[in-house]
Amino acid sequence: MIDYHALAPELILAGTVMAVLIVDMLPVRKHWTAVVGLLGLFATVVPILTLGFCESLDFCDYSGSREMFGGSYVIDAFSLALKGLFIGSAFVAVLLSVGYLESNRFWQGEFYFLMLASVLGALVMASSRDLVTMFVGLELVTGPTFLMAGWRKGEARSNEAALKFFIIGVLSAAVLLFGMSLVYGVTGELTFTGIRAGSVGVLDGDLSGLFIIGVLFTILGFAFKVSAVPFHFWTPDTYEGAPTPVTAYLSVISKTAGFVGLLAICYLAFGEVTTLWGTGLWVLAALSMTVGNLIALRQTNVVRLLGYSSIAQGGFILVPFGAAIAADVTGSDLEEAFFATVTYLVIYAFMNLGAFGVVIAVGNRLRSAEIKDWAGLFSYAPGLATMLGLFFFSLAGIPPLAGWFAKFVMFRSVLASGSGWAGALAVVAAVNSVIAFYYYSKVVVSAFMEKVPDGVPVAEIREQRTAPSLQFALVLTTIGVVVIGFYPTLISGLAEAAKTFASGF
Amino acid sequence: MPNQYFGDYITVLVFMAVGAIIVGGAVVAASLLAPNHPNKTKSEIYECGINPVGGGWSQSHIRYYIFALLFLIFDVEAIFIFPWALKVESFAEAGMGGFIFVEMVIFIVILLLGLVYAIRKGVLRWE
Repeated sequence: MIDYHALAPELILAGTVMAVLIVDMLPVRKHWTAVVGLLGLFATVVPILTLGFCESLDFCDYSGSREMFGGSYVIDAFSLALKGLFIGSAFVAVLLSVGYLESNRFWQGEFYFLMLASVLGALVMASSRDLVTMFVGLELVTGPTFLMAGWRKGEARSNEAALKFFIIGVLSAAVLLFGMSLVYGVTGELTFTGIRAGSVGVLDGDLSGLFIIGVLFTILGFAFKVSAVPFHFWTPDTYEGAPTPVTAYLSVISKTAGFVGLLAICYLAFGEVTTLWGTGLWVLAALSMTVGNLIALRQTNVVRLLGYSSIAQGGFILVPFGAAIAADVTGSDLEEAFFATVTYLVIYAFMNLGAFGVVIAVGNRLRSAEIKDWAGLFSYAPGLATMLGLFFFSLAGIPPLAGWFAKFVMFRSVLASGSGWAGALAVVAAVNSVIAFYYYSKVVVSAFMEKVPDGVPVAEIREQRTAPSLQFALVLTTIGVVVIGFYPTLISGLAEAAKTFASGF
Repeated sequence: MPNQYFGDYITVLVFMAVGAIIVGGAVVAASLLAPNHPNKTKSEIYECGINPVGGGWSQSHIRYYIFALLFLIFDVEAIFIFPWALKVESFAEAGMGGFIFVEMVIFIVILLLGLVYAIRKGVLRWE
């Protein structure tokens, strides 16, 4: 029989998606759609918590992971941790959107409908343990975002963003499906555990080459999703053209969903070919960090800068995967790498959503995202300037902000394996951390120390208030970045539980 | 022999090559053999019949597109209902009749919600 308790988060969110659509049809003010969406997200947290603490609850007599539908849908510590992350990030993303959509008079009801539908796809991905469920989840994440990227209907740039994103999205889906079809073709299995078991025999046989091509294509399909160099070309244009809350959504939730797929497929389905994907992702990580950071150096627009910075951060998140390049990699090394990736994803969500929150708040007042217009921000908007510094230094990895812990576990995971190639990747990452610090601090220095440029209506801007929802989102992310920085055990406990996922080596 | 799997593709490649040769050969032969005396009437879109009016681009009403979309959605719904209807009895015999019925009701309600949404947004009004 179907375990409804285990499916409750998805069911509640699906109900919320429909409720938002119904509220949009009723003759009430449109901001109620956002309220219903936020309440629904909040309600989704309840079953995630009861599932997570099942062993200490009276009414819940279940321990260990729950497998459904012949092992293709699994609720374990990893999927619950990631579901919590998705719900939390979606909560902040909705808060970021409310004021933006209202003040610019964009359509609201459909927006939250699409955003929550996309989050539902992310929840499905976190639990899916077979190729078909994974693909359906990924398409559900991506489909609505094509529309959201074009939400500024009248603007050519937004249309360009949506079209580029759509074409690349379709291309990556095709590449991914091709890879998956080869993997299925040679192993004859769809579930990840089945593929891993089947691949042992395949690797000794005639078709090992075909299996390797399938693995590479599957990873390339996800590389588009996480915008790893050299599959990143859509990212800056889409990020700049899309409405800023949508950019925040894309760079955090959609990207994390890609990484979740990559984690599940690499560690479970392709567990027999760790050196293969380790090498592939080693190259992608090194390229993403270097190219993303070098191009970010020359950016004059904050949104584009964050676009390239998120490419580079994607590279940092890929670094632990590169530890698997060593032929003699041990199970505990891989567990450590898995732990580092999950930790980085959680902390990255807080920092990046916060940084985009500041960009939305400042952009709303200045009507500009050019770095030179932001000079002297501290003199007339001290609160926002301080938060800008906080999030940017956290992205750069300065202690005691949360970013340092993410970088710390990332370095520890590649150095722990002790192989030369993994050490080389750590060196590349270290050089890139320095480059990244330069351009993050450039923005902050200009906001704090330079003179306000002529033509900025300072008096007028002082009068303006940030929308309450946006304030709430900024407070949440600020607390997250500061508290995790001082007490990283909050996050590491979560990721520690999740890493049993990779214990099958 | 590499193996049977790749060997099967050789048939496809040969087929493609033969197809390309036949089509290409026909085009080349036609351009070598056929007499070529172009004039204004001949290079029109239709050599006989009514003279074409206007440009190649023409607009049709956006509503046709929305109707086509709605049609597609409900067409797919019907396709899903047919195999379901065939299986209902065997499920009912296994004691899962209520379950499978509720599943289909949920599916139809979600689609109906879409139709109500379309009506509410004025998509079906033809003015």
